[in-house]
Amino acid sequence: MEAIKNLLFRMADDELIYGHRMSEWTGMGPIMEEDIAFSSMAQDKIGHALANYSILEKEFQTANPDKLAFFRKENELMNCQLVELSNHEYDFSLVRHFLFDHADFIRYEMLSTSSFAPLAQLSKKIKGELKYHVLHADTWLTRLGNATEESHARMQSALNELWNYALGIFEPSDFEAELIAEKIFDGEKVLQQKWMEKISPIIEKANLKIPSSSAPVYGGRKGYHTDQLQPLLTEMAEVISSEAEGTEW
Amino acid sequence: MYGGGYIQEEKQEATSPIDDAQKLAEFEARIDRGEKIEPHDWMPADYRKQLIRMIEQHAHSEVIGALPEGTWITRAPGFRRKLALIAKVQDEIGHAHLLYSAAETLGKSREQMINDLLTGKSKYSNVFNYPAKTWADVTVIGFLIDAGAIVNQVANSKGSYGPYCRALERICYEESFHLKQGHDAFITLATGTKAQHDMLQDALNRWWKPIMHFHGPPDKISEHTAKLMRWKVKMATNDDMRNQFLDMYVPKILEIGITIPDPNLKKNEATGQWEFSDPDWDEFKRVINGDGPCNAERLAVRQYVEEHGKWVRTAMMNPNQKVVIPFA
Amino acid sequence: MSKIPLNTPVLDPRIKRVDLESTYGTTAIGENEHWISWEVFHQKKRGDQHVHVGIVHAPDAQLALLFAKEQFGRRLACVNLWVTKSSDIFSFSYDDEDIFDNATAPEKQYREASGFRVMEKINRYKKSKQKA
Repeated sequence: MEAIKNLLFRMADDELIYGHRMSEWTGMGPIMEEDIAFSSMAQDKIGHALANYSILEKEFQTANPDKLAFFRKENELMNCQLVELSNHEYDFSLVRHFLFDHADFIRYEMLSTSSFAPLAQLSKKIKGELKYHVLHADTWLTRLGNATEESHARMQSALNELWNYALGIFEPSDFEAELIAEKIFDGEKVLQQKWMEKISPIIEKANLKIPSSSAPVYGGRKGYHTDQLQPLLTEMAEVISSEAEGTEW
Repeated sequence: MYGGGYIQEEKQEATSPIDDAQKLAEFEARIDRGEKIEPHDWMPADYRKQLIRMIEQHAHSEVIGALPEGTWITRAPGFRRKLALIAKVQDEIGHAHLLYSAAETLGKSREQMINDLLTGKSKYSNVFNYPAKTWADVTVIGFLIDAGAIVNQVANSKGSYGPYCRALERICYEESFHLKQGHDAFITLATGTKAQHDMLQDALNRWWKPIMHFHGPPDKISEHTAKLMRWKVKMATNDDMRNQFLDMYVPKILEIGITIPDPNLKKNEATGQWEFSDPDWDEFKRVINGDGPCNAERLAVRQYVEEHGKWVRTAMMNPNQKVVIPFA
Repeated sequence: MSKIPLNTPVLDPRIKRVDLESTYGTTAIGENEHWISWEVFHQKKRGDQHVHVGIVHAPDAQLALLFAKEQFGRRLACVNLWVTKSSDIFSFSYDDEDIFDNATAPEKQYREASGFRVMEKINRYKKSKQKA
């Protein structure tokens, strides 16, 4: 039970924080069409966070989704550090989108056969959304990687900057063996392998190179975060925590 | 037959100042019959000019209007409000997109329009030069500014230019969600805790003046205005739209215990017209000419966005592609 | 780059994160920087026609499809979209609208079902039979 809860929190917190980062682009994208597209994905991600918190509430009698999302302390959040980094420029956001969304897509794909029915159902329900996110990411990565000298350099430099954080997505939990044994989830290690197989040819097609040295940034899953998370959490809680918990807004 | 899009030469012919009397008569007869004007049609130069001006300003208003509300996306309280707010701001960018597309069919490129926004040559709705200081400001905007916009847009959707009407039809459909979610959030604060209620009352007090400004100063009934109304470019006078707005929304504000900060506001039942204190049209003029609390910030943000998005756009440019005016 | 001082402190935390004043300049959008336009056709459900719903600006067909999906498929029921370059659309001029006038003209009733009075003839025949 703790194992499933841990998995759900990791996923929900990733989606919550990442969705908020994506949402910061709403109204500020490089061109209107893309602005609209990115905003849809922000909504999808925040929606996925809500779905996972709802499973926690329903199956494990935790607090409600709003309380889980907006009233927990920084060190209680189990998102990987990749998703909490400030947006920087569009190159940074696109490369993060590519790296995170492939992992997210494969994770849900693996969960579609999970013995934990609520996750298997959720996985089937959001398959189309995730497929679109990956298509969007691949389209941009391959284009900008191959377009101009500047766009290529920007994408490569973002990839270099983000690579170790991306490896942090797969920080193992204390419950890996249990999740695998109970056929809930095949584990972060398998996920990472599948992810590498999937993204390597696309990165190659984008004329980009995976950084040769790698040192995964772990800690996020255990509540250790960069200094960029707290300011965002403060914002997220600003209005909702100005009144007693449970107040309707 | 037009091939390869709606070609540039034709546009120049159409904007020629020689407004042939017979063509003008046919054009006006078509409008009188309730038919729409389409992009390829002959149209008086002034019709084209006024439509571009109006649709472009409408589009800019959507782009700039996304900023005061966008401010509150990360801070929106709870999942439901947050998702609705992101979707609403997204719709506004979507509306801008539809409107720019409609204006493009009249021969002005999107690039030119955005440049005119950035240099201040072309205006946008004055309300967005005011700050959204609290969450309650977002609900006032979402309810009452959107309500004001709907009055305007529903009127304009019955205008004479086909592409603008088509864009407005979809926009009005989406605005109905904006209005409803704004009304819902407005009622929640009004009927919530004391702090929530006070926050809303404060916000409305701050926004009432810009709301009264929203439909513009009373029209000078000039020959020009009369012509634009005959051509169904302008569908109602500013005062008529304001009156319609007050008719529909004042009761909805008062019924939930919020007061309106104008002791002189009342409906004259004999004339059907609302009476109110002078909304300070000097301030309106000052703000529209650049001296509002947020004018500089709004343009600076757009400038920032355009500047930082430039590398994405230029990386994907293809000089061999043939640019034509779209059909929409 | 000219700096424009802001009248009021910036309230948007997203904007506070960027150094707004330092970047305020005179960026102009270059000609064709918003790419070419594509006409979008939307199919609501299988079995329906694709219907023209508007345009998107995009540098190539795949991005045009992605953008069309978001602008025209995000809020409307949709199973499929087409895009085609605006420059590949050919059209009649509205000046030639009159060439279509005869499509519904009364003289063309011979190709309408309503142009044939079958029942009248049957009834006439039946009546004559009764008399006989």
